[in-house]
Amino acid sequence: MPTARAVEPVPELLELWATSRAYLPGKGPVPGLRDAAFAAFREVGFPTTRAEAWKYTNVVPWVNRPLRLPPRDVPGTDRITAWFAGGVKARRLIFVNGHLLPELAHVGGLPGGVTVRGLGRLLQEEPDRVADALAELDEPRGLTALNTAFASAGAWIELQDGAALDEPLQLLFLTTATADSVLCNLRNVVRLGRAARLHLIETHVALGDAKPLSNVVSQVRLGEGAELRQDRVEIGAAPAALIERSRTVIAAGGRLCRTVATLGYGLSRHEQGVRIVGAGAEALLNGVFTPTGKEHVDTQIRVEHAAPSCHSNQFYKGVVDGRSHAVFAGKILVERAAQKTDAYQSNNNLLLSDEAEIDSKPELEIYADDVKCSHGATIGELDPAALFYLRSRGLPAALARSLLIFGWAEEVLERMADEATRLQARRAFLARLPGGAVLGEP
Amino acid sequence: MTALLEIRDLAVSVDGKTILDEFELVVGAGEVHAVMGPNGSGKSTLAYVLAGREGYQVTRGTIRFLGRDLLTLEPEERAAAGLFLAMQYPVEIPGVANMYFLRQAMNAIRKARGEPDISAADFMKRLRAQAELVGVPPELLKRDLNAGFSGGEKKRNEILQLLMLEPRLAVLDETDSGLDIDALRTVAEGVNRLRSPERAMLVITHYQRLLDYIVPDRVHVLVDGRIRRSGGKELALELEAEGYAAFQPKPAEPATAAA
Repeated sequence: MPTARAVEPVPELLELWATSRAYLPGKGPVPGLRDAAFAAFREVGFPTTRAEAWKYTNVVPWVNRPLRLPPRDVPGTDRITAWFAGGVKARRLIFVNGHLLPELAHVGGLPGGVTVRGLGRLLQEEPDRVADALAELDEPRGLTALNTAFASAGAWIELQDGAALDEPLQLLFLTTATADSVLCNLRNVVRLGRAARLHLIETHVALGDAKPLSNVVSQVRLGEGAELRQDRVEIGAAPAALIERSRTVIAAGGRLCRTVATLGYGLSRHEQGVRIVGAGAEALLNGVFTPTGKEHVDTQIRVEHAAPSCHSNQFYKGVVDGRSHAVFAGKILVERAAQKTDAYQSNNNLLLSDEAEIDSKPELEIYADDVKCSHGATIGELDPAALFYLRSRGLPAALARSLLIFGWAEEVLERMADEATRLQARRAFLARLPGGAVLGEP
Repeated sequence: MTALLEIRDLAVSVDGKTILDEFELVVGAGEVHAVMGPNGSGKSTLAYVLAGREGYQVTRGTIRFLGRDLLTLEPEERAAAGLFLAMQYPVEIPGVANMYFLRQAMNAIRKARGEPDISAADFMKRLRAQAELVGVPPELLKRDLNAGFSGGEKKRNEILQLLMLEPRLAVLDETDSGLDIDALRTVAEGVNRLRSPERAMLVITHYQRLLDYIVPDRVHVLVDGRIRRSGGKELALELEAEGYAAFQPKPAEPATAAA
């Protein structure tokens, strides 16, 4: 990618690197990798709106500011358990302000062939393996390079061929009120071997009025016939920022079903790259974003079909209110070899306020000739016929409106596999919805 | 007998075009009236005007419902007052579960009448009984309201709502369209259960067949926005045999070509 000349980092960030690099975890090849990554970061800098992928998101004020590495914080247990999901038997890793809390982890006695570990320890114990993994993401990008330079926590999840975890695995990422100006660089690695199965729950929560920056990079690999269900909620207070780049590679017959609900954060940016490299694989990407106030949500999806007879579907909906700004850019790339591809994308949005903005950009790039692909984007208001229908049954206008908005989002939320996560998402959405309280618990 | 619904000299236009004119209809408590007419005669306009849909301008006349001026009421106030419209094309509402919606509707109407909410147990008990009656299977209750329902399922679901909400006046707009004969019979049985001395029905239909099962007290022929004739149930049979042609207003003399 031609680097539309980016922004120089503020001196405090250079200083942060100089004072902390010696204390970051990882032996062997890791320090060298970090040095190279930071050099790349200095070279590339932070992206500006001149870069196509950042055209509608001015990330600079969120990232280029004096930041510090997170101090440890152990909030009251009740503040943590409130966000538990996945049922009573769920496995769990908990990260608070970018630190793994090993004493609260619940990953003991896993079935054979299943490894769930914190990245920090692994960097010390198996630096070569981790270094290889960190080096996998090729293109130099400022935020990814920054993550590689500082990464000291995250989840390392590995399932050998045929391994399965029957209960969900929850990754709970929490930032607290003490996390002001904190930079959390989280790095997750998920590898599923042949026919392995995993249900992963990612819960991102930002509490209090702090203004942390979570810079997350996730690398996911699905082996042949592997299946990953992924439910993700983002429930964050307005000053917090969450930026994630994920890269998923799916082998033949693999199946990914990911559902994302963005219900907060001043800035939420999620860039998902999915590359399908084997025949008969499937990628379902569902999502709903619901910015209000002055929130900014940016979803960038790129699905690459590199093998024949695969199916992908992007199903994203937006509820855009207040003075918020939502961005959706979804691309389907079908390579020459990917005949018999079925690839779809839709992004339908409810624009509820005159002061809100939505930029939706669907894109198809097709090099195979025997494919079924479609995309569509809509931006509209509530359907008057639906409003009348509900009112004619006795629902007052305001309630009918809330119910329709709720239903709009619920169509995505109901695709979540984990019921507790679905409930968390519903509650968070109802709390943000004018008149949502009267809807009770649908 | 007290009039439950009284429509006098009603004129309604849509986008500036007059659809109903000089429309008169009085429905007494306990009565079932049928309004029959061909496509484009103004049947659905009548239904929507009664329910209060936007876009239907009443340019003249009055509608009184249980002694109140219906035209001043919002759609939800009409529902609370006891009016129900079973729609020809029920709207699909994704993301809102059928039975959740129905409970919200019942409680909204109760609230408007100053009554307490129905308990979850009572609601479920009644819902199960009524759903069985109209042939709405339990899984349809859990699904999103009308979303992906077949035409027949939507109509049954409308009648289920009707039975649950127990209005004083039920307006059925083309309820028979899209129903096979068995479904038609089930739906009609459901409707007939509601017949009572306090309640009235207005059955709007193109065809006579629904009236074999919901037998009307009065039949009105609506053609070109006006009621052309009223009579007993035998009028429906007459229409079935002879069609609406006899009721068509005489076409205006073709204008002489000026150019």
